[in-house]
Amino acid sequence: MTEQTQVHAAPAGPVFWPKPTDTNPKLRVGFFGLTGCAGCQLSVLFNEDEILRLVEIIDVTAFPFVRERNIERDFDFLFVEGLVASRNDLETLQKLRERTKVLVALGACAHTGCVPAYRNFTLKENYEHLLYVKDRGIEDINPSPVDDYVKIDHTIPGCPPDKREILSFITDIVGGNKPKTFNNPVCIECRRNNNACLLESGKPCLGPVTRGGCNAVCVNGGFECWGCRGLTDDANVPAMVKLLEEKGYSKEFIRDRMRMFAGLKMPAEVEIIFRAANNKP
Amino acid sequence: METKSKPRARTAKKAIALTVSNPFMPTECKVTKFERQTTDTYTLKLSAKLVHEPGQFVQVTLPRVGECPISISSYSGEELELNIKQVGNMTNALAELRKGDTVYIRGPYGKGYPVKELKGNNLIMIGGGCGIAPLKGIIEYVERHRADYGKIQLFFGCRTPEDLLFKEHHNRWKDKFDLSLSVDQNPANTCFEGNVGFVTAMLEKASLEKDGSVAFMCGPPKMMAAAAQVLHAKGFHDDQIFVSAERLMYCAIGKCCHCMIREKFTCIDGPVFRYDEIGGIQE
Amino acid sequence: MTAAYSMNRANLNPFLSAIAGDFELIAPVRTDIVRFEAVSDPAKICLDEQPFFPLKEFFFRKHEVILKFDGKRFTAPLKKAPKRVFFGVRRCDLNGVLHQDMVFSSGVADPYYAAQREDSLLIGFHCNEAPSEHCFCGSLDLKDFHDLMFFDRGEAYLVQVGSGKGAAFLKKFKKFFTASDYAVTDEDRFIEGVDKLKVKDISGVYDNPGWKPMVDACLSCGACTTLCPTCYCFELREVPSLQDESSERVREWSSCQLKEFTKVSGGFVYRESREDRFKHRIFHQLDYFKEKNGVNLCVGCGRCITGCPTRIDFVTGINEMKA
Repeated sequence: MTEQTQVHAAPAGPVFWPKPTDTNPKLRVGFFGLTGCAGCQLSVLFNEDEILRLVEIIDVTAFPFVRERNIERDFDFLFVEGLVASRNDLETLQKLRERTKVLVALGACAHTGCVPAYRNFTLKENYEHLLYVKDRGIEDINPSPVDDYVKIDHTIPGCPPDKREILSFITDIVGGNKPKTFNNPVCIECRRNNNACLLESGKPCLGPVTRGGCNAVCVNGGFECWGCRGLTDDANVPAMVKLLEEKGYSKEFIRDRMRMFAGLKMPAEVEIIFRAANNKP
Repeated sequence: METKSKPRARTAKKAIALTVSNPFMPTECKVTKFERQTTDTYTLKLSAKLVHEPGQFVQVTLPRVGECPISISSYSGEELELNIKQVGNMTNALAELRKGDTVYIRGPYGKGYPVKELKGNNLIMIGGGCGIAPLKGIIEYVERHRADYGKIQLFFGCRTPEDLLFKEHHNRWKDKFDLSLSVDQNPANTCFEGNVGFVTAMLEKASLEKDGSVAFMCGPPKMMAAAAQVLHAKGFHDDQIFVSAERLMYCAIGKCCHCMIREKFTCIDGPVFRYDEIGGIQE
Repeated sequence: MTAAYSMNRANLNPFLSAIAGDFELIAPVRTDIVRFEAVSDPAKICLDEQPFFPLKEFFFRKHEVILKFDGKRFTAPLKKAPKRVFFGVRRCDLNGVLHQDMVFSSGVADPYYAAQREDSLLIGFHCNEAPSEHCFCGSLDLKDFHDLMFFDRGEAYLVQVGSGKGAAFLKKFKKFFTASDYAVTDEDRFIEGVDKLKVKDISGVYDNPGWKPMVDACLSCGACTTLCPTCYCFELREVPSLQDESSERVREWSSCQLKEFTKVSGGFVYRESREDRFKHRIFHQLDYFKEKNGVNLCVGCGRCITGCPTRIDFVTGINEMKA
């Protein structure tokens, strides 16, 4: 009985997310984009058969991508696409966070930094001449995911996110439930889909260490997983790297491939594995 | 052989599928009472006349939310009482039910505390937090069959006086049994009169008769492990100690495998295990 | 049942075509890999290899709506599968079906499994030689479990009848068979070189340090459990409809290799370490199941090794463990 403070674990307690009430029957939901390709916002709209039902059960108070008039305050839920790459992004994000109860990072850029954050891995002189700072007066800052600056309450990962996950998220919150995050690797769904394993044919598939929930859509189409949904909590990266090396891929290749989407969210211990590659940076 | 087999094949065809009752189908029942116990626990009474043992559990369904196992905290047979702590979607959604609302259940499942088999013994009950709930079922049974048992000692603990369950029963239990309450912390402004410290500390101080006694425990795994240690030190054997295990469960009928503790299924071999059956407290 | 028949090699494809005319015929087919599929043209059937995926998905379905809620009450969408004949099933997979039958019909029977399994007929195909380097069925105590079993004898097939259902089926197609007074012997059933797992009782090696290299190589991707013909764990999930007040309860395969497998509300994970998860699978297959059911769950098909991205060969691993 030495660990006295641990006898009763701290209360997990009820999780209070906003839910519809009699006085406030529709949740106020917003969709915003920072720097990004707008593909994640399109994923919302790709739910063509359900979109009318969606606007019936939630109050889409702001969606500047498709709406002309937007009320930008008092959000119960706010979906943010893209990452922070300019002063303007940062100010928008901080302003929105203050006006939002539950902030949802929508897609890989908001989640990990994804492709736009790739710039962090190269030297400034390689891209400086391409920046638009002088011409357009946009104040550039190093691209980084949303949770580097504000608290994120939930993440819908993926590049692009699965449109059905957005729907089930909304179904859940309208019903007062907290959505679950899929924590299993891509392989779980991939094998269930009876796909032949692409690692067997020598492709550098990252499925075993990548968070699934995408129904292994890439592998279903014969294309290996690049890890767009980020690493699982349980990823055995050393074993994955060893496996890919045995298949003939260099550490540099593996690192670059893993950085493509997991980008700035690659755990420090994973970066250490690649340090042996001794490659700049 | 061929002539024999033909009719057999036909009867076999009819036998399965359509006549087997569906173990996943829940039954509708009504909420007869909702009562909040603490800030994050509450009691639901349901109009379900189930024959069950103390320590068994039911699977509770709310359509569009899901299903979860809840241990039974009553022993009346008239009404089903569930004591629930809010930890997730299901338990939060159940907290919004009020008298007259509909809920679906299947069960009871599992093996409870072997109270009937242990007639003639002294009973020691050790409960922590909402682990007191299943023990309340034993108390209700024992109250009806008091003469069958020797000395009855209750050791109940929780975090703060605010978190104590079943306060309305404490005076009655005090009169009938030897009740010791403790809280981990006692903020200055409460009028709590019990011990401050851990339930195991009370257990350590208490005089327990190791012969002819059995201990029933339910609570956080760490508490149960520590309490078992105290009991062992006082000379209790593993076969005098019964613990209730908690695991993730889906089917409750020994199929889905999520609740396995080595070869044992918590849903059908437990949730109450004799201490040596599962080789002590896991994790 | 020991009754045996023989079938001229030339009769096989006409026999299979005749089956496909009356039933849904499912057999190994080579696509990108060899897999069990519904097939109408027997020429497409490939008996050279062990199918990559086992038979279990046909009976224990990967994704099944077990309950429907219409806003007022629950109903069970229980539908019987059509009459299906499975051809070219190896001894390991046949026993895989037997063990799943034991799981889903013992204790409280599972009606969803029964509805899929009931009208199925299993025609086995004996391995004259081990189809994969990782086969170890000889180390497990496998039973004769089939309705009909084919043994390739060059010019002809020896056909063993294993059940009344099989006998009735054979009678229906009797023009393809010739009666024989041959009795199938242990020698016929023998497959060379598949008694690979030398440790028959693994209960003593749980704490052996020999597990570590295997665990270090484990990606916890769940390929082993998905490809396993016997692994039967599942989870239930509620899927509320967006359109109305209805809802579905879905049963899906699960895997004990995943951290999520033992995670309870509030986030606590009971079997957290990769090593405990890895060993739980092996012990459930080769130890725990036997305690209750008298046979090992594992049937030695070796798919969990052939299908493992890092090829963790626990059979060799266990053999090499030092006491």
